Amino acid sequence: MVTFNDAVADLLGVDGFSPLVEFIVGIVGASIVVSVMLTIIGISAVWLKRKWNARLGDRIAVNRIGPAGLMVMPADALKLFSKEVVVPEGVDRIGYKLAPMLAAATVLAAFAFIPFGSGLQIADPETGLIFALAFASLSAVPVVMAGYSSKNKYSFLGFEREVAQAIAYEIPLVVSALAVVPLVAVFADTSAPLRMSNVVTAQQGPLLGVTGLPIPNWFIFAQPVAAVLFFVSILAEFSRNPFDLPEAGSELVAGYLTEYGGVNFVLLFLAEFAAIYFGGALFTALFLGGGSGPVLPAVVWFLGKTFVFYLVVQWFRATIPRVRIDQLLEFGWKYLLELTFLNLLLTAGILWVVL
Amino acid sequence: MSVVTRRHEELHETIEDELPDAILDFDEHHNAPAVVANPSRVDDVVRILKQNGYNHLSSVSAVEYDNRYESVYHLRRITDDREDFDEINVVAPADPDEPAVETVSDVFKGANWHEREAYDLMGIRYDNHPDMRRILLPETWKGHPLRDEYDVDQPQYTTLEAHANPIEERYEVENDAALDTMFLNIGPHHPATHGVLHLKTVLDGEVVVDVDPDIGYLHRCEEYLCERLDYKYQIMPYPDRWDYVSAGMLNEMAYARCIEDLAEIDVPEYAQVIRVLAQELSRIAAHMLAVGTFALDIYGELNVIFMYAFKDREIVQEMLEDLSGQRLMFNYLRLGGVAYDLPEPRDEWFGKIRGFLDDLPGKMDEYRSLLEGNELLRKRAEGTGILEPETAKEYGCTGPVLRGSGVGYDVREVDPYGYYDELDWDVVTYDGCDNLSRVLVRLGEVEESARLVEQCVDILESWDGDREIQSRVPRSITPPAETENYTAVEGAKGELGIHIVSDGTEKPHRFKIRSPCFSNLAVFSELAEGEYLADMIATLGSLDLVFGEVDR
Repeated sequence: MVTFNDAVADLLGVDGFSPLVEFIVGIVGASIVVSVMLTIIGISAVWLKRKWNARLGDRIAVNRIGPAGLMVMPADALKLFSKEVVVPEGVDRIGYKLAPMLAAATVLAAFAFIPFGSGLQIADPETGLIFALAFASLSAVPVVMAGYSSKNKYSFLGFEREVAQAIAYEIPLVVSALAVVPLVAVFADTSAPLRMSNVVTAQQGPLLGVTGLPIPNWFIFAQPVAAVLFFVSILAEFSRNPFDLPEAGSELVAGYLTEYGGVNFVLLFLAEFAAIYFGGALFTALFLGGGSGPVLPAVVWFLGKTFVFYLVVQWFRATIPRVRIDQLLEFGWKYLLELTFLNLLLTAGILWVVL
Repeated sequence: MSVVTRRHEELHETIEDELPDAILDFDEHHNAPAVVANPSRVDDVVRILKQNGYNHLSSVSAVEYDNRYESVYHLRRITDDREDFDEINVVAPADPDEPAVETVSDVFKGANWHEREAYDLMGIRYDNHPDMRRILLPETWKGHPLRDEYDVDQPQYTTLEAHANPIEERYEVENDAALDTMFLNIGPHHPATHGVLHLKTVLDGEVVVDVDPDIGYLHRCEEYLCERLDYKYQIMPYPDRWDYVSAGMLNEMAYARCIEDLAEIDVPEYAQVIRVLAQELSRIAAHMLAVGTFALDIYGELNVIFMYAFKDREIVQEMLEDLSGQRLMFNYLRLGGVAYDLPEPRDEWFGKIRGFLDDLPGKMDEYRSLLEGNELLRKRAEGTGILEPETAKEYGCTGPVLRGSGVGYDVREVDPYGYYDELDWDVVTYDGCDNLSRVLVRLGEVEESARLVEQCVDILESWDGDREIQSRVPRSITPPAETENYTAVEGAKGELGIHIVSDGTEKPHRFKIRSPCFSNLAVFSELAEGEYLADMIATLGSLDLVFGEVDR
């Protein structure tokens, strides 16, 4: 697999770009990725979420503005952007205003490492997976900033929970992702198994041992336990139900978001939804074979899989109750952590025996 | 001589023997005999009664007369034996200038809030009360609004000092321990307070150390209003506004029962069956809402339980709309009957109800699997918000809250009214004492209500007699002067009682509403302290409070 810059160079028939052109092409690639992601997030955060949740709860949801209520998106955007930016008295102004920008920026930057397929990947460093996970962890920082600077007790409780949660689920997240790395080294036969493009390449062939059947070698089949653990950790890392404690609508009003409105709220909200997609993209790249699939181009498959991930997350939202903070921490430290390490050791052990 | 009468005689002697100087007189109220006690010894009298089995303090109401104030205590006996049910009233007359009565809050903890209310509205001071503050009105209010002398037009202004930051003085400077805790105002505008409840909460980390519910934000002077309206027509629309989430029929029945009992008005059988039908439909709708909002408090999102419950409630709501012409404020019951006969075409309406009843078992299975079958929800709702049966009785909790603690007290069963005695149904109890039990009781009661509705529909469908919907009621209703009556019905939230004191005119002299939510909220701090913040919210949801009824 190649990065976006290589793909463009290939298309133009040149060997490589000068640093300046490289930079410009990189910016163009980043704009494409960000625009695509923003569009998808716009559709799903404002419209699809409502429609899908409504379907789960026997409702109809938006259907008055435009066909199937689709025009609710521009209407909502217009409404939110035209609101006055109210900065409450006594907040830490720097932190308060920086947090939304940082939130949106970190999560959108994280998409740079995602191998969308069809040549759409901005950066493909040798340590891509570690970078991506680092950016995932970074999503807790703006939440802390927003909660701490808001000077509101609900925000304060929200960010306290976020810190406890992020620490508890950081290690399981990374360790469960690492369980696929030995497999990458084996299947892609590479010395750089942390490179995101290699992770996807390793999943292209048919599954080991059942070559006759058309089961792809997605790591969800080779590493089902890791996939489940990673999924749970992603939900906790990005505070989705049933682990949405930093927001906790019924307890903390809106948690760290309480004091935000207008465009600042939009940015935090956007970061939250982008995080779900980022989680979905990571899950797709690590366990669902990235863009692998028949007929359609890879990028379509990739985005389709992240959409499915998104819908599953929203499905959880409608059906699974929120856990309590002590239950959350207990589950993270007492079970998830041990299980992920056990899984990693088992994987390494099996590979050591087999090879 | 019946058991109850014999018991009264014995009680008479016991009290006179043990507390000769505490008793002033014996009186007869319309619902039960009354003991007139020395105001400074009333706690001893109540304690003796409690020892003799009167273990439920329904309400405390304050009445003003020309020459005295009276603090009236309504006590009931709750046992497993239905025949054993009994009531007794205690009256403590107080001085007209400086009304003061000894508190009974050390005998019944539930008296605490009731006495605060009596102090707030009528100005009777309760000596040795642990917390003699106003409860419904602000601390700075001038005068006691239910008194005759109260000047409605006087300006109520508040000084700037009264608005001082409550956090600084009370929680952060008080002691060193306060530095480790956080004072949090939950409400009055908060998504989980079901209206306008203000919880002054002290948190230690995520654990609730202390919580003080502050009510009165929805106080609309319902008692004051009813005292200025005539019995026959004018009061009836108001009960709909107490527990306003579809339980209106039950509230109307509370008023109808009290005044029909006092003025001795008969209700034709046909109307009684319609009343039961209307009430039980109301109960189904109210319980559906309770189950849905409980789920909302635990999930914090628009989840499927909430949506399904609302959808099913809507079906019932439509039936009630067909019956009464109104969605929530029914105003359907009349003294001596109901306002209209069943909607025409009757078969279509019965078909609607039967259709709903046929679908109900499947729906209940789904609710059960969503609530009981959900591992995470069980983890949240089981073993949290523990309400021991003894505590519940101490505080005068009733309804699903009490039955969730395993005490089978249901006014419909122990003190039957209307047509309930003729029908076949059971009291639902769970003895988990936790949040989940309280919700499961409501689910069970929906099924029992459905049974009652089905029986009513059967009776009404095969009714071939006279369809008399209202008996002959005198043009103006004037119960004899100086009579008083306390009766209760099983409302959606519990024992909904009305205490009427008549002065011989066509308007009540005193109209006291005993709200089940009020007593159920009084126990809240006992349940919440030591729980996590999230469980406190869930507990609040499981108590199913409606603030129209708490604040009145």
